[in-house]
Parts: sequence; structure tokens; C-alpha cells
Amino acid sequence: MKTIFLIEDDQIMSECIARAIRKSQSEPVELYTFTNGITAIQALNKKLPDLICLDILLSGPDGFSLLNELTSYNDTAKIPVIIISSLDLSHQDLSYYNVKTILQKETMTPSSISEAAVEVLDRAE
Amino acid sequence: MTSEVNSVLVAAHELKAPLSLMRQLALSLQVFDDVTTQTRLCNQMVSVSERALLQVNDLTKVARLEDGLFTMEPTSVRGVCETVARDVEPLFGFDHKSIRIEYHNRQKLAIANHDLLYSIIYNFCTNAMHYSEADATSVLKVSDNNNRIRIDVRDYGPALPTKIWRKLQSGSLRQPTDVAMRPGSSGLGLYIASCFASYMHAELGAVRHRDGTSFFVELPISKQACLFP
Repeated sequence: MKTIFLIEDDQIMSECIARAIRKSQSEPVELYTFTNGITAIQALNKKLPDLICLDILLSGPDGFSLLNELTSYNDTAKIPVIIISSLDLSHQDLSYYNVKTILQKETMTPSSISEAAVEVLDRAE
Repeated sequence: MTSEVNSVLVAAHELKAPLSLMRQLALSLQVFDDVTTQTRLCNQMVSVSERALLQVNDLTKVARLEDGLFTMEPTSVRGVCETVARDVEPLFGFDHKSIRIEYHNRQKLAIANHDLLYSIIYNFCTNAMHYSEADATSVLKVSDNNNRIRIDVRDYGPALPTKIWRKLQSGSLRQPTDVAMRPGSSGLGLYIASCFASYMHAELGAVRHRDGTSFFVELPISKQACLFP
């Protein structure tokens, strides 16, 4: 079973994203949601996910701190990341990290979320 | 950049979050057709839009404070706190969090404007909801402090940024802080609360704890006999 970590501090937005991801998967996925980067990092010590969906503007340490943390370890550096943010970010800004897709909160749709998740997970296989 | 332009930018930045959320909820409604999910989505749309509307209303009130249209009168603090707690309870419920009220006060009435006081406490409570950890219970506490009534809202989350805390302590929170911060952290809510508190000759402040923050407002008591229980 595929494991996905979703890090988004707005509970309602997190639910929307989780719903879209679950709907897209042909097989059940283990989806863990976190409202901040610290608890997500603690969880990474116990389990490595197949995909991380990450908001950037979080309460406490922001998404960039988490990306830096991921990049600094061999095993976590390989985890593909989908950025879901209201910030205007480009792949160029994030080329140092293993970011596969950037979704804009203002323009994304449930289908674009699910397509991105399916594509990244399929590519990783 | 002038402070007015910065304030407008911060307000726009803050309102972008509920608008994005509303859009996402509406799109989800088209995709998910089971009744339970649709009911939940509709309830979430109502609460997100109500919160955003309240913030817009508060911003218009800030602009009208100079006209002095908000009557100051003996106000039942318990009444306002209970109304706020009732109104925010569903919001806390969405996040699997809760809020409880504690009364440690003898004085019942404060000199205040009901609507402005409601906005301040509502702001504190939604702030507490946002920053508390999952399953945490925030506390709305009413107590006496000499000739004033103090209302505290305690949350259990990350500490208040030092920049905003210093401004609150020094009473210099004259504009929201920064558009680069995440929506909800720009200090717009606190800026609105500080404008309302200043209008009511109330004192606004914050206490930093290792595991969260307490925001408080202290209002002058009313000597008028109280008929409220």
C-alpha cells in the first residue's frame, strides 16, 4: 500500500486535498495528515512515505525548513514532493529539492490534485 | 510603501485564504456526490464565509471608529463570552478541538460596546482554534483585575512571534505586520482587536507560554447594578 504524507495547517483545505487524493487512487492509500512540519519530521523517523504533499506557509517552521530537512538525509531526499501553496513559486526556485509538481491553491482543482498524485506515484514505481 | 497601502495588501492577502478555500469546497461539491460529504462541505463553506465576512465587517468598523458611532454602555461580559463560545464551537469542532469558559469574576458588567467586544473575543478564539494542536481545549477565562474585568483566551500551539508580541507589549501595533507571513499570521486580527480595544479604553495584551499564548483584554467595570445572573 502506498503511503502519502500531507502537511497542511488549514484543516479544511487539508480535508479537501486528502479527499481528492483518496478518490484518485485505484488502490487504498495510507494517508497521514499533519498540521505542522515538526510532527511530520517526527513521523518520518518511523515511516518513509512514497509521496509528500507540502504547504509552504505553515504555522511554526515553514515548508522550506522541511524541504531542507528532507534534502539533508539520503533516504528522505529521494521522496518526491508536491508543493501545494498560495505562493507564486517556480520549479527553478525549488530545483535543489525533489519537487515534482507545484500546485497553486488559487487555481488547483480536485482533479489536478489527484492527477498530480497519480503521476508522481506512477513515475516513482 | 505607505502604511495604508501595506494594510490594504495585508487585508487582501488575508482574504485570499478563505476565497481559495471556498473555491476548493465548491469544486469538491461537484466531485463528491454522497450526502454526508456534501453536507460537511456545505457546513464548511458556511463557516469559512462567515469568518471571512466577520473579518471584512471588522475592517469596515475600524474605518468608522473615528466617527464615534459605537455606543459605550454597561455590557454583560458573560453574555458576550457565551455568545462567542456558542458561535465558534462548530469551527472548533471541524478541527476536532474544543473551547471551554471559566468564570473567576465577581464583577458582571464592563463599560464596552457589545459588537466591538464580541469581535475582539471572537478574534482571540479563532486565533486559538487555528494555532492549537489537534484535540486541544482552548480556555476562555473571565476574571477580575482591580477595577477592570479581564478576558483571557489561552491557546496551546506555537509561541506568538516575538515581533508581534513586542509590538503588543509596547502598544505600538498600529498596522498589520507583514504580507510575507502566512495568512492568519500577519497580525491583522490583532491590529483590528487593538483598534477596538483602544476605542473602548480597554487594554489589550498577550502572555507567552512555553506551550502557547494567552491573549487578553481588560475592560473598565461598570458600577451599574447588574440584573444578569
